[in-house]
Amino acid sequence: MNASGSHSAGWKSVVLRYETLLFVVLVAEWFFFYHYGTTTNRRGTVVGFGTLDRQFDILRHSCEIGLLALALTPVILTAGIDLSVGSLLGLCAILFGKLWHDGGLSIPAAAALTLVAGALGGGLNATLITRLRLPPLIVTLGTYSLFRGLAEAITHGAVTYTDFPAGFLFFGQERWLGLPTQAWLFALVAAAIWLLVHRTTWGRAFRTIGFSPEGARYAGLPVERRVAQVYVLAGLIAALAALIYTARLGQAKADAGTGYELFAITAVVLGGTSIFGGRGSVTGTLLGVAAIAVLKNGLACLPVVIRLNAAEEMSGLLTGALLLLALTGSVLPKLWSSFRSRHRRT
Amino acid sequence: MAAASPTPSPLLSLRRAAKSYGGVRALRGVDFDLRAGEVHALLGENGAGKSTLIKIITGAHRPDAGEITVAGRTLDGLTPALAQQLGIACIYQSPALFPDLTVAENIGLRLEPAGAMRRVDWGARHRRAAQLLQQVGASIAPAAEVRTLSMPEQQLVEIACAIGAGARIVVMDEPTASLTQREQERLFTVVRELRAAGVGVIYISHRLEEIFALADRVTVLRDGQSVGTHGLNEVTEAGLIKLMVGREVAQIYPPAESAPGEPVLTLRGVGCAASGVHGVSFEVRAGEIFGVAGLVGAGRTELARILFGLTPADAGEITLNRERLAPRSPPEAVARGIAYVPEDRRRHGVVLEMPIAQNMTMAVHRRLFPGGWLRGAAEQGLARDFIRDLAIKTAGPDAPGGSLSGGNQQKVSLARWLATQPRLLILDEPTQGVDVGAKSEIHRIIRQLAKDGLAVIMISSDLPEVLGMSDRIGVMRGGTLTAVLPGGSPAAAVMAAALGQNERPDPA
Ligand SMILES: Nc1ncnc2c1ncn2[C@@H]1O[C@H](COP(=O)(O)OP(=O)(O)OP(=O)(O)O)[C@@H](O)[C@H]1O
Ligand SMILES: [Mg+2]
Repeated sequence: MNASGSHSAGWKSVVLRYETLLFVVLVAEWFFFYHYGTTTNRRGTVVGFGTLDRQFDILRHSCEIGLLALALTPVILTAGIDLSVGSLLGLCAILFGKLWHDGGLSIPAAAALTLVAGALGGGLNATLITRLRLPPLIVTLGTYSLFRGLAEAITHGAVTYTDFPAGFLFFGQERWLGLPTQAWLFALVAAAIWLLVHRTTWGRAFRTIGFSPEGARYAGLPVERRVAQVYVLAGLIAALAALIYTARLGQAKADAGTGYELFAITAVVLGGTSIFGGRGSVTGTLLGVAAIAVLKNGLACLPVVIRLNAAEEMSGLLTGALLLLALTGSVLPKLWSSFRSRHRRT
Repeated sequence: MAAASPTPSPLLSLRRAAKSYGGVRALRGVDFDLRAGEVHALLGENGAGKSTLIKIITGAHRPDAGEITVAGRTLDGLTPALAQQLGIACIYQSPALFPDLTVAENIGLRLEPAGAMRRVDWGARHRRAAQLLQQVGASIAPAAEVRTLSMPEQQLVEIACAIGAGARIVVMDEPTASLTQREQERLFTVVRELRAAGVGVIYISHRLEEIFALADRVTVLRDGQSVGTHGLNEVTEAGLIKLMVGREVAQIYPPAESAPGEPVLTLRGVGCAASGVHGVSFEVRAGEIFGVAGLVGAGRTELARILFGLTPADAGEITLNRERLAPRSPPEAVARGIAYVPEDRRRHGVVLEMPIAQNMTMAVHRRLFPGGWLRGAAEQGLARDFIRDLAIKTAGPDAPGGSLSGGNQQKVSLARWLATQPRLLILDEPTQGVDVGAKSEIHRIIRQLAKDGLAVIMISSDLPEVLGMSDRIGVMRGGTLTAVLPGGSPAAAVMAAALGQNERPDPA
């Protein structure tokens, strides 16, 4: 009866359903914290979840991880992975601070050079993966340590760059047109990545490579070039995230962005992108980022969590649980249909 | 008719079997019988439901309705394990071996009892594999990794497994689609031996001459329904085609009309050490179909891979339209106007997870999507045109490639490269697994492209096809081109050249 286009409708509606589901979870989560998270902390100040300040705080905090998640979406679509983005964020933050503070460059010049450095860092990953044909997991595990190690070597693990001019801090601490400034940058990058992934032949190539690298090669697609570009782009966005991070905290330290890569990967996978490549969407990633950000910040507002002083632990625990739930959720329909067909006539 | 025959109860019988995939009704109530010691052919257009029927018999899919009787047991569905237990073995359309394991390991996995802590007797395993491979007449080393084997070689390994398992019912889904005459004859010998031993063989093929040579009875499927079972002495080729397609199909090859023009492609002493090709020289002219014949493993696909930039040449010189051609990657070859329809459609020809439309436009991104922006309407239009022109049986342009029957996947793979409007079209087994109606349509298209001035290289193991379609025939043996024969040469001459019989008598 639904013969025409039943496949595409079927698989599209699965994605839609998953994304809708995630959206519903997000909204429910938000209202839960809105309701239960309004309280005062031990020092007697209001840390209500529902306050506008708190919401903007959430937005500010999620921009950097959000950017990394956006950077990782094309990577994971090609069935690759990049563990080094968090470390690269740290290295770029240090480079930026050093170029400005010690190198005497203007902020725009230092920022531009930092972006170039990020792209070069991504280029290193790309070269190792496409030229030497090493698995992305191994390569980026190596650069994960390498980039962080460089950042620590540059600062001898002690130097922290501070005293950035107000014009720069504006990007991390102020509002523009009613919203935190970095939220606008984030939206811009999100729109660009969305277009790239869903509206261009590049995005199509990423998916094809993710599904079948051999199939893509036989179709005449420039497989190596596309894979390389995905990692360079990830490096570039990590550098942008480093700038925003520095502007938000007003300081550049070697440990900037530690562990962010794991949150970013979690967000992407939670957003429905298949770790095996090919399937996924930018919208899903954005929802995944939001779900994690709300969870993390909302928990910090729950009275019981404040009493136990366990916000970090709880958010780690629940993020992990959510991720496992998302992963099993994506195979549930398959399990269900095989169960049904097995028991239909016995 | 069948009721009157005094034959004993069949090995296997299927009653009113039905199966749907989503909205597609692949089988709608099929009856089928297999007797001991017979070769029973299954015939039908692409997408008629042959593979689906097979999957029900092997327990890979469960029927929605109907019942199966095997060895006196009536069941409403099988599981793969139960089917194996009942002595059913299957050689699928696409071999299902583990590519990273050796041939002996693959055979061992199928035939040896399972058990995690079991000790492996490597010597026995290799001896057994070697013996089985010899039985099917394959010169394959048991220690070879399966990934290094060509498709037909993998098929022979599958057959060796079936024989080793002592199967009572052997199912072969297009086993000869890419076998050449010589391997085919070996396979036929194996099948006849099986029949003589009382095994029931279900044999699917689109090549009617094979069915007449081998089968005892034939069941014709059309649109998921059986349109009759006949003894092969009761029917003619034309009659079978009519049963299958519902109309008459001319089985003649379209003739060449104009004389070939300028040389488009010239090879001089081309070789590639990595793929064992050496000293290949020939030229292909505009408007010419250059057929390439040879045995499996003669280096035909390897030659195509060189021209397409997949394994760059390291010796000799290639020119395309008088300019040097040395593609180091497929994009370079595509940019020069080369198209390659590969042999292995499931791994290389189609991306199974992606929609048909996206598969078809994959090689024309630049032309169809200026600036890199996807244009859904243009894509859908192109896909609809090809679905209509090549009579691809599918739910629509958005159906994933993996949901198509084998022959229809082949058509999608062909459409992808026709869409590029190439200057040189390399076809590697272009009609493998394609039904007679579509085959003559593809032949007509290839000839039309040649008439429009394209140079075509057509690698094919289907000897009548090579003989009928080619303007000239290059024969490859042992990694090099040993002879170029004029079109219309007798089959015996081509076979002799492929076997190298003019130089020394063949030991086998
Ligand atoms: N997994 C699947 N999902 C959806 N549709 C399917 C699936 N497998 C087969 N079909 C559909 O069922 C029909 C019968 O397919 P089947 O593979 O049995 O054909 P066939 O007779 O073997 O054809 P061919 O000669 O091309 O191999 C086709 O229309 C096909 O598109
Ligand atoms: Mg089939």
